[in-house]
Amino acid sequence: MGEFIQTVATGLSMGSVYAIIAVAIVLIYRSTGVMNFAQGEMAMFGTFIAWSMISYFSAWSLPLDMNYWLPFFLAVLIAGLMGAAVERIVLRPVEEAPVLSSVIVTLGLFTMFNSIAVWRYGGIAKPFPSPSVFEGSALSVGPVVISRLNIGVFAVSLLVMLILYVFLNYTKVGLAMRAAAQNRAACRMVGVPAGRMLTMGWALSAAVGAVAGMLVAPIVFLSPNMMFAALMFAFAGAVLGGLQSLPGAIVGGLLLGVIQNAAGTYIGSEIDVTVAFVVIVLVLLVRPAGLLGHRVVRRV
Amino acid sequence: MTRSVTRTLTQRRVLALILLLLLVAVFPYLYTWPFFGAFLNPFRTFQATRFGLWLIILLGLQLLTGYSGQISLGHAALVAVGAYVAAVLMNDGFMGQDVPVAVAVLAAGLFTAALAFLLGAPALRLSGPYLAIATLALIIALPQMLKLESFSFAGQEIHANIARWTGGVEGLLLDRPRAPGSLEGMVTERQWLYYEVMVPAVIMTFMAWNITRSRIGRAFVAIRDTEVGAEQMGVNLALYKMTAFGLSGLYAGVGGGLFAYTEAFMSPDSFEVVKSITMLVAVVLGGMASIIGTVFGALFMAFQNEMVDAFSGLIPSVGFLEGYLPTTESDFQRLRGAFYSIPLIIFIIFAPGGVAGLIRQVGGAAPTWWQAGRLRVTGLAALAGQVRARWRAGPDRTDPVDQPQDSDEEKQA
Repeated sequence: MGEFIQTVATGLSMGSVYAIIAVAIVLIYRSTGVMNFAQGEMAMFGTFIAWSMISYFSAWSLPLDMNYWLPFFLAVLIAGLMGAAVERIVLRPVEEAPVLSSVIVTLGLFTMFNSIAVWRYGGIAKPFPSPSVFEGSALSVGPVVISRLNIGVFAVSLLVMLILYVFLNYTKVGLAMRAAAQNRAACRMVGVPAGRMLTMGWALSAAVGAVAGMLVAPIVFLSPNMMFAALMFAFAGAVLGGLQSLPGAIVGGLLLGVIQNAAGTYIGSEIDVTVAFVVIVLVLLVRPAGLLGHRVVRRV
Repeated sequence: MTRSVTRTLTQRRVLALILLLLLVAVFPYLYTWPFFGAFLNPFRTFQATRFGLWLIILLGLQLLTGYSGQISLGHAALVAVGAYVAAVLMNDGFMGQDVPVAVAVLAAGLFTAALAFLLGAPALRLSGPYLAIATLALIIALPQMLKLESFSFAGQEIHANIARWTGGVEGLLLDRPRAPGSLEGMVTERQWLYYEVMVPAVIMTFMAWNITRSRIGRAFVAIRDTEVGAEQMGVNLALYKMTAFGLSGLYAGVGGGLFAYTEAFMSPDSFEVVKSITMLVAVVLGGMASIIGTVFGALFMAFQNEMVDAFSGLIPSVGFLEGYLPTTESDFQRLRGAFYSIPLIIFIIFAPGGVAGLIRQVGGAAPTWWQAGRLRVTGLAALAGQVRARWRAGPDRTDPVDQPQDSDEEKQA
């Protein structure tokens, strides 16, 4: 039993990262119908930008651990701008094109970011620092021993989700973004700049992705391929929760983290991505709408 | 993007086709001739072999994604299945018997086709991006699966020694292919390899070409363009989608079997994600729903390293940007992904038809004398008939005997 609780606790920590990546994917998918395959690679690239800034900043000693947090927020900002630019330049032209076009474009972005990262930073995995608050000895609560890093990752992800929730539900811009996702034409009629809202959606999701990348990097080490598995788990989580639903993405992501950890404990860690694949296929076969999604009826 | 399925064959095209086939047939011997020796060498023969290999593999993806509209990012998984089936048959034999290469490759093709046909069944319920996600997950998980030795479940050790067949992390080493003894001295190893790949490549290209212009091909295109509409017209969605998967599996399996045979080495990492995505990229760059486009795609796959190298001298080193611009060849090799994904995105936005689409557009503006000799034909029989008619017409008659007047309008359609 103790082992099981331990597994769930560690799983929830990784799951919270998958959850925010899944949220980023769903955010874009439900507003534009574009499945962003480059989500993970954009996050990886943002993390590399943070890494080079951290190694630059480490020369100075700043108070309050700003050697870490300043690059962190700068990287989030840069990633957001990158996301907005990607939407404007690359995705706007294929907005009305068939699904295949947008899939190919995001795959193109996938290989582009991957190869630029390989060229600039090399393929060898590097250690990525975590803020000093997250370091130190592990905490033990009852039978569960959990590292400070895991708790920190969970806390930051929770904070990101909370900020997103408040932003989307209690601000005017958030309302406009939700409206643009639902009905673009009606939005334009009442004066909401729908196009700008889509750009903002991409910026937001790229920024969230960068946070996820920086949370994952200390655990899996920083390398151009580090987000492959995380992206697959996030996809599986999004599919499990229902690709249209933000709460679904969170629940799905958390569940996937637990499933991955349980599979690692009880089956073997060398087949973890296979588990994600099995989950995706099973969900799509048994309940394509996901746990919290609803069936989409298409008009012909 | 909808295009008519029937193609037109001009007499010039028939002639060009025959010349092309002749060229393909004598290509590995060309470098021994005085003039061609200047720019051809045995290595080019090997590259042409690679081209034939990619042509077969990409044709399968073209039938599935280009014609039927089923987005597959995991085509390399099917190639891997074919490659391993062929490798195991060639290495270990079947029931104590040695298996000839042709039989092994054919068996790999049929096995993969059957597997892909069955895999098509769950894929029936997945459309568009969902299928893309599932196939991407498959290809990312594939190396893990191929390296698997055993796993534990509920405290029990379960042996699923897939690595025994695939060689695990170290990979699998095969015997180098050799020409049969009776041909000793007439063909070199590379020339023999070339024919072993090119003969199936040519046959399967014609097969694909005919499939796309048949009832099956039209059903594929109908499913791609409007699934509901196709169903209303009486297309059996389940059957045709599974057929599309099965056919792509056949091509991938034969291609994979030949891959195992020509490369003589492979490991689970030979079939990784980026390579699988590159296959789809090649099909799109060449031109979706076009056999000629697939040929361009295969050229791209076979020569991408050389193309990247050719670009590497073009960017000068600027003093203050030292280290921020790619200048050396190794920089360019690492940036390979960016070098094809940027043109890819530009193509998708401005010319979704790929290279083949561009050529078709240019061809539409061709002078009238070029368009004059067009004849509508269906199938290879008509091709032979045309050649005969041309022959009988004699050298002084430039126009064919029976030329429909409406052929030009048909091209516009």
